[in-house]
Amino acid sequence: MKSLWKTFKQGIIYENPLLMLMIGLCSALAVTSSVANGLGMGLAMTFVLLFSEIVISVFRKVIPNSVRIPIFIIIIAAFTTMVDLVMKAYFPDLSKSMGVFIPLIVVNCIIMGRVEAFASKQKPLTAIFDALGMGLGYTWVMIAISAVRELLGNGSLAGIPVMPASYQPILFFILPPGGFLVFGLFISFNIWLKGRMEKSAKERA
Amino acid sequence: MKGSIRLGIALALFAVGACASLAVVYSITKPRIEAQDQIALEASLRDLFPEGEVFEDVSASITSANATVNISSAFLAKRGEASLGLAVKAAGPSYGGQAVLLVGVELNRSIAGVRILELNDTAGLGANAKNPGYYVDKTNKITFPGQFAGKYVTDPFVVKSDVVAITASTITSTALTTIVKAAADAGVLWLENSALAPSTDQGPGASYSGSAASESAPATTGGN
Repeated sequence: MKSLWKTFKQGIIYENPLLMLMIGLCSALAVTSSVANGLGMGLAMTFVLLFSEIVISVFRKVIPNSVRIPIFIIIIAAFTTMVDLVMKAYFPDLSKSMGVFIPLIVVNCIIMGRVEAFASKQKPLTAIFDALGMGLGYTWVMIAISAVRELLGNGSLAGIPVMPASYQPILFFILPPGGFLVFGLFISFNIWLKGRMEKSAKERA
Repeated sequence: MKGSIRLGIALALFAVGACASLAVVYSITKPRIEAQDQIALEASLRDLFPEGEVFEDVSASITSANATVNISSAFLAKRGEASLGLAVKAAGPSYGGQAVLLVGVELNRSIAGVRILELNDTAGLGANAKNPGYYVDKTNKITFPGQFAGKYVTDPFVVKSDVVAITASTITSTALTTIVKAAADAGVLWLENSALAPSTDQGPGASYSGSAASESAPATTGGN
């Protein structure tokens, strides 16, 4: 149980896909212009990651090594298409605003990376915790980045105006350069946090 | 040889499994997706022509004169036997890809309204076109698509002269104006071909001066 919790925590902080492994960045920077988009993308990614890791972990012994990559892509693409269809059917507004980025989950390197490096070698239960850790690690960073960008760039949070009416939105934060800036600050924050946690862990020992 | 056949079979089995599960999800969500599209379309049609009761699909008989603007469908709004106007759904290129607009054309050849169905332009700039809180005319609270309502098709439709542009988004403004103009032209052409003109009592009368003025005398409401 303890090792499962550790696997989970790896994804949230120590091996956070966005802030530490720095993979899957293009979609992360592109959709984080509003909190609703960041949350939707994070959850869609987590769903695809979770089910792909489960399926691949269950079948890991029957997947021939030399064709494993095409099989991974088939499985990931199937789940991504399902998410796309379900979102179109039940959340048409969200699906519209995420545009092309949902189909692009197929080639998101976080999923390929975790499936190849983790799920294809581990038991399903461990894979579930890895997927949840990585997925939620991705989601919280997406929400945090989009919150900063939406607040400063649009004066609102999740579509609700929170800044006083006199506030002139800083357009820069909604545009891609602002995304890079906010993202860079988050990376440095995470490195600082990791350093502190390691230090306190050493002191305790 | 034997090994590669085995690989092929493994690959095929996974593909079949994925296909089968996708087919299930697709068949479950398909009616729902179509219903959603229909609801969205009907809501915007009703929004353009609040008095419309029936929306007759006339997509087959309408064509676009502008090569870059594609007209995907058109609906004739009717109340009872009387036609109210034509709603034209048109798509054309904008800054961030395809933009889809619904343009309502009144029988008197003016624009009933413009609704933006799809637009993927830059947030905070071009996307302000579909922001209901962004006004090109702040004193009268008129949005970018809102300013087209009441314009006559014979108007010039030139950005920065009779069309107010969105600040720092000339490309979006021009692109959307082009789509509106092309859709309105196609709509008017269709109305003329179907000999639909405003009945004399509700026409704009003297204020209207267009090519269709001479045709507006017989108040035909029949359609084709």
